Amino acid sequence: MTAPPLLELQGLVVRYGAVTAVRGLDLQVRSGELVALLGANGAGKSTTLRAISSLVPVVGGRVLWQGVERTGCRTETTVRLGIGHCPEGRRVLARQSVATNLELGAWLRRDRAGIAADLERCYGLFPRLAERRRQLAGNLSGGEQQMLAIARALMGRPSLLLLDEPSLGLAPKLVAEVMAALAALHQEGLSMLLVEQNATAALEIADRGVVLESGSISLEGTADALLADAGLRASYLGSG
Amino acid sequence: MIEALLQTLLNGAASGGVYALVALGYTLVFSVLGVINFALGALFSLGGYLTYLLMGGRISANGGLPGWGLPQGLSFTPALLLAALLTGLVSLVVERLAFAPLRRRRAEPLLYLITSLGAGLVLVNLLQMLMGAEGYAFPATALAGLPDALQVAGARIRSVQVLLLAVCAAAVIVLTLWLERSRSGRALKAVAEDATTARLLGIDSGAMLRLAFLLSGALAGLGGGLIGVSISLPGPYMGISYGLKGLAVLVLGGLGSVPGAIAGGLLMGLAEALVPGDASGWRDALAFAILFLVLLLRPSGLLGRRQVEKV
Repeated sequence: MTAPPLLELQGLVVRYGAVTAVRGLDLQVRSGELVALLGANGAGKSTTLRAISSLVPVVGGRVLWQGVERTGCRTETTVRLGIGHCPEGRRVLARQSVATNLELGAWLRRDRAGIAADLERCYGLFPRLAERRRQLAGNLSGGEQQMLAIARALMGRPSLLLLDEPSLGLAPKLVAEVMAALAALHQEGLSMLLVEQNATAALEIADRGVVLESGSISLEGTADALLADAGLRASYLGSG
Repeated sequence: MIEALLQTLLNGAASGGVYALVALGYTLVFSVLGVINFALGALFSLGGYLTYLLMGGRISANGGLPGWGLPQGLSFTPALLLAALLTGLVSLVVERLAFAPLRRRRAEPLLYLITSLGAGLVLVNLLQMLMGAEGYAFPATALAGLPDALQVAGARIRSVQVLLLAVCAAAVIVLTLWLERSRSGRALKAVAEDATTARLLGIDSGAMLRLAFLLSGALAGLGGGLIGVSISLPGPYMGISYGLKGLAVLVLGGLGSVPGAIAGGLLMGLAEALVPGDASGWRDALAFAILFLVLLLRPSGLLGRRQVEKV
């Protein structure tokens, strides 16, 4: 018998008022896997992540974590279970320092030594953050804020990292830098569910890809197969 | 002449310090919840009366328990601190009864205004039932050990005002250090800045909100006790005027800004103190005229941020 997937969504339904954003989504992320969740604007990608973190209520279906149903548990509980969420638009705490942002990422942890070690690990992964650790996060550039948001999520030592459009608004060079950092984390064995509009960049580092259209899956497969798929290329990858 | 000026400035700074405490009380809750807790003035009164009772003061003949008092009173400092703590706990009850039910229903902010105002009125009326409507003066021995006046730079000034200013300054410094340096203070700031992000970090925003209410009530209670001992307890409604003045200070300094609340409080207190004694009826008018003027020139307050943003 194989171990249950780290995260499993069964028939997930999420509504915003009268609008159904996610309709019956089935999705699995296995341990160590990097799954890219792709699709156009409004396809329900961010909503799916927000439902996993209980930021929006789940109307139908189930969320299973390591085989145990956790649908509708508190957001704090999802963090405690090991789900890190790096939100859309970065959302760093602009009025606190880089170091404080990272320390707050470890809010639920009590192991001082482990926190200090992880802090150094984050600074090693993103040396620019180390240079700016005393600065207010609001004074960082967009790319640095994205690195801070990822590092802050890592400080909670997640088993699964949810990433919501980490390349949004970044210059191509920075997109490459962020994707390289994610690939390095994936190499170390971190599981990730990566929401991206930049499908090519995401599929280049992903194991599998899932394409959403109007809240349900229109296409899924290995990252290589999706990258080769001409139809996907035309409708989602654009020229990129 | 110098002596009079020094005393006037000190009086102003001392009452300004109390206004700043009230304004900080509003700021704490506002920064987390985005609404004004109108029960704060009543909590201010409560702090004054609790300090009086904890020091062994007796209830008057018109009160609910005529002649009742604690068998053994505390001295001023422990009584003041305990009263502040108890007021903070009552503030938690106010949160539970007047705020939490609305929060669960995601009610409109306007409704908090009504429920908190109602909670404040209930508190004031309970105080009136227990203590009667008339004023109380603290016993002359309340500050035994504190000399009546101090010599500063050749001038004699009333020491109770120095005490007031010192306690307010200490409270403000402790609060600021806590917000900037401590783990929980930073978490509270995180919730204030972006509640959703704070939740994603695992911070329990409900717990932080309760902490904000506790501290906010304690600050108001501290203010009430200080005014009680330095002036008197004119009646259960005493806190309402301080609550309103604190509200003016809050807007003056910039809604949600901690340094703004402190600067606004001092400015308001000093401006009032500079009104000559024989024109004291104009004090409140002057205070609100200043508020008007500042808002005309700087709509977001002295130290407020441009857009409406929270601490």
